[in-house]
Amino acid sequence: MARIIVVTSGKGGVGKTTSSAAIGLGLALKGHKVVLIDFDIGLRNLDLIMGCERRVVYDFVNVINGEATLNQALIKDKRVSSLSILPASQTRDKDALNKESVGKVLEELGKTFDFIVCDSPAGIEAGAMMALYYADEAIVTTNPEVSSVRDSDRILGMLASRSRRAELNLEPIKEHLLLTRYSPKRVEEGEMLSVEDVKDILSIPLLGVIPESQAVLKASNAGEPVILDTESDAGQAYQDVIDRLLGETVEFRFLVAEKKGIFSRMFGG
Amino acid sequence: MADASIEFKGSSFTLSVLHLKSSELADIRADLTKKVAQAPDFFYLVPVVVNIEQLSCSIDYQAVKALIEEFNFTFVGFTGAVTKEQRFHIRELGFSFVNTAKANVPPKSTIAPKSEVKETAIEAPKVVEHLYTDKVHRGQIRSGQQIYAKDQNLVIIGSVSAGAEVIADGNIHVYGSLRGRAIAGAKGHHKAQIYCQNLEAELVSINGNYWLSESMEEHWGSPAFIHLTDTELTSSKLI
Ligand SMILES: Nc1ncnc2c1ncn2[C@@H]1O[C@H](COP(=O)(O)OP(=O)(O)OP(=O)(O)O)[C@@H](O)[C@H]1O
Ligand SMILES: [Mg+2]
Repeated sequence: MARIIVVTSGKGGVGKTTSSAAIGLGLALKGHKVVLIDFDIGLRNLDLIMGCERRVVYDFVNVINGEATLNQALIKDKRVSSLSILPASQTRDKDALNKESVGKVLEELGKTFDFIVCDSPAGIEAGAMMALYYADEAIVTTNPEVSSVRDSDRILGMLASRSRRAELNLEPIKEHLLLTRYSPKRVEEGEMLSVEDVKDILSIPLLGVIPESQAVLKASNAGEPVILDTESDAGQAYQDVIDRLLGETVEFRFLVAEKKGIFSRMFGG
Repeated sequence: MADASIEFKGSSFTLSVLHLKSSELADIRADLTKKVAQAPDFFYLVPVVVNIEQLSCSIDYQAVKALIEEFNFTFVGFTGAVTKEQRFHIRELGFSFVNTAKANVPPKSTIAPKSEVKETAIEAPKVVEHLYTDKVHRGQIRSGQQIYAKDQNLVIIGSVSAGAEVIADGNIHVYGSLRGRAIAGAKGHHKAQIYCQNLEAELVSINGNYWLSESMEEHWGSPAFIHLTDTELTSSKLI
């Protein structure tokens, strides 16, 4: 059975799309059949990060409205054949999706794919609720700052009360904490919450810590998810996330600030 | 005659009394809105008796009750020195008329006509000793969530997040951190208490007396319980 994973946050701009792209591609690189769905109707971001924006013909809303078949709308990734993307529509509004049709699409996708990764829009309105409704697992993407943590907490409440699993009294959604844009230096300087602070407040298992990294912006601009940048810290941190999602125990990295080398210390760099 | 399962006893309670000075519902609504906006949680489910003594003309009692409930108060009844007819009318509408302790004292000669109306003590709000059962919640109460233990104590096995609210008519026990709001004795219970393993609350309230975070300094970040002495909130070390 396919694992339906929603990447959600409440707060906007914390790294949901960046993470969805990296995780989707990372799982596919491990040989799994993965489909990435962009639930951020009206914005269309995921296809840009994935570098397939020029190949969008039909979108999620077309499929929902019966204007295109799933096969017509799915875009096969050029790098990894086991990865497909279902892009969002840029022209429709947020309310274009409805529970029943989304359910049908997910059911259909579940027949072919091992993982369905849903990139949620920000907020706690209908669009975000739709993205999390059918989820089996949730990757709660959080930046180490108070407002982001608060919103993640809010979303965790929604996962526990407004999802299909909650409504049908099934086993609850499996929750994962993904801390992104983590800057150990700023934590040490007391400007940001630490991993421990966030874990203490949200009390859900930690899936990964992605450091604040130049590599992310570079990757987005190139349309190459950062997990492909195996030299970069962020790329490696996402790789660890994949291993943990697949059941391995991997030690957490990039949690402490790099000590400055002797030269930069001497020359005040 | 001894009654096995129940017993009626008179008890006196501190209740909030809302004195109406105008019969204009719109004015009352406007003023209530302002008042409640200052401390919404403080007023939540607080029992209220409406005093109509100062009104110069009649008022729509049903509309008053509806208005009170619209603001999430618990409507108890009407009170005030009013005419026999008014009382009769109020009771006919199915509302209780609450006598103040003073009114139960044998009336002095100046208000002689009243002595005819012999109200029994039964009419005062009568609450039996608090013997609450527990409502147990497993798991964290998240920001934006609210849980209310009506006529019960509330036991939470988990933390209460900032932005969450837990309310009980009895006591509140949090086996975890209390970072949100906790309102105990919500319907008016002076002896209600709040216990938690880590006090970092946004607000605690017992029987309508409340504290914001800044008043919790003494036991901030440690296991504590909050209770009322007369009318003052007090916090004490739990362990
Ligand atoms: N680890 C990181 N290091 C540096 N920048 C990052 C990191 N993760 C994300 N960003 C940047 O943060 C911005 C927001 O990222 P992204 O679009 O993935 O967030 P989002 O949660 O999907 O936003 P929205 O809520 O608008 O959908 C982007 O500019 C991205 O490049
Ligand atoms: Mg996004």
